[in-house]
Amino acid sequence: MKNKVLMGLAALAIVAFLSSCGKVPQAKIDATNAAIDSAKVAEASVYVPAELAAVQDSMKAINAAVEVQKSKMFHKYGPIALKLDQTIVKARQVTADAVAKKAVVKKEVETLMTDIKAVNEENAKLFKKAPRGKEGAQVLDKIKADMATIDASVVEAQGLYDKGAYMDADTKIKAAKASADSINAELKEAIAKVTAKQPAKPAAKPAAKPAAKPAVKK
Amino acid sequence: MRKILRWLIFILSTAALIWLVILLLIHITPLPPEDEMTYARQTLSEAGRGKADTYSKKLYSEAKADYDSAMAIWRRENKRFLFFRHYEKVETYAKLSAKTANQANESSETNSSTLKIRLKDKIDSITKTAYNINKFFGRYPMPTEIRNRISKGNFLLQEGEVAYNKGQYLPANTKITESEYLLTGVYDNAIAELKDYFKSFSTWKQWTQSAIDESKKSRSYSIIVDKFSRKCYVYLRGEKKYEFEAELGRNWVGDKRRMGDLATPEGNYKIVNKFHGKETEYYKSLSLDYPNARDKERFQDEMSKGTLPAWAKIGGGIEIHGGGGKGVDWTEGCIALTDSEIDLVYNIAKVGTPVTIVGSIKNISQILDN
Repeated sequence: MKNKVLMGLAALAIVAFLSSCGKVPQAKIDATNAAIDSAKVAEASVYVPAELAAVQDSMKAINAAVEVQKSKMFHKYGPIALKLDQTIVKARQVTADAVAKKAVVKKEVETLMTDIKAVNEENAKLFKKAPRGKEGAQVLDKIKADMATIDASVVEAQGLYDKGAYMDADTKIKAAKASADSINAELKEAIAKVTAKQPAKPAAKPAAKPAAKPAVKK
Repeated sequence: MRKILRWLIFILSTAALIWLVILLLIHITPLPPEDEMTYARQTLSEAGRGKADTYSKKLYSEAKADYDSAMAIWRRENKRFLFFRHYEKVETYAKLSAKTANQANESSETNSSTLKIRLKDKIDSITKTAYNINKFFGRYPMPTEIRNRISKGNFLLQEGEVAYNKGQYLPANTKITESEYLLTGVYDNAIAELKDYFKSFSTWKQWTQSAIDESKKSRSYSIIVDKFSRKCYVYLRGEKKYEFEAELGRNWVGDKRRMGDLATPEGNYKIVNKFHGKETEYYKSLSLDYPNARDKERFQDEMSKGTLPAWAKIGGGIEIHGGGGKGVDWTEGCIALTDSEIDLVYNIAKVGTPVTIVGSIKNISQILDN
């Protein structure tokens, strides 16, 4: 009888011991880390940096919670497993959001590229109509230099776009577009000014040698 | 009955003993620095949200490294047998991480707001420089290389402003600093050149005053051309009567030195002829007596010194004529007015009417302060 009681107590102790020894949910930890890595590959740090930072913070908290449990005599990983399930969902959402935002920025850059090409073409046409006089002008030289700078910048923006650096391309193309619009306005103003000032001249008559006019030297 | 009681006492004693042992084991088990690690992690996270990784990079990196060290030591200790674990180093690194992260956060706030203010001031200052370059030197003859520098400087300023408005202060700072270097360099050089040109101001002032005094004394018309301001003034009896916009030779800065240099001469001249209709291609024109004696003397001097090419000729045919109103300096050295303006000047001017052409009737301080 004594032996039976003792064996019963021992059995109870073993059951209690075994039930409090949980296993680290390593598979879930690995899966969550992989999901976060996927978000980084999707350039979440560029397109949705705050969201990525939040998910990384959650993972840090989970890692600490795992060590807290390991530090104890009796481990409980149930709540940690639940948090891992939530975090992996968030990480996958971050990836999806990064991909979506990247597509939006890419589309914006493409639209700006199309717009700026149209403005540059119009500027080239307006430049030909701009008041030149006999020898051209400092103002036209300035505009010519500006147009060359814009062209160079569009090429750089295209290079960034081709590399997939859409954010950088966006910054560059926005600045180029602002400059191109400014030149467009300047050219239109210059042409309008000349058109308004100069009255319609009579049709050119055949050149007759002017009487008593000294030879043009200058 | 006694036997049952004895067994009951034995079981309860055994259970109590087991619980005492368990409590003792729990008591002597070392506690991990959970609170310290949580605080360190939260502080680091806050520093990250405050962009300390950008604006206080060194401190933030140190805080992050301390936290990672704390975690690594914690993992290592947890692999040891329960009662042989030591978490003191984990606690030390956790506290150090929290302290450094706080410093990083404070430093980042200060750095980013200081940078933001400094950038705003720089943008305003460079915008003003760009405006001044356009205002004073928009029609200044400049080599293509200088025009390209101005263009690039203006463009970098635009890019800097876009980055600034996006809150990207470090990339904005790079663009704006480069823009400042280009535009300030151009402006400073242009101002130095202008100051050099204005060394002749005392001569111009004297010519201008003499022309006005002569107009007053002779009670007649006198024409004064201010090249820098692009103005053609008509004085009668010493009083300014008319003021017109004038367009000059493309290389208007400085005196005319030779034929074909596209410069408008400076000096005291007279109208020697009047042309209109078929006699001129510019509607109406007033021919001047360039080169005068001073011009000839200077030309000879330059030729003898070799500062002009051997094939150079002094030139001539400088006029005040119509066809202007283009808004640019386009002539080969003449002074162009609009057709309606030349009508007026043509009617009042006679052969012999003095025409004084100067670099400026205002001194450089008056020009730059305005």
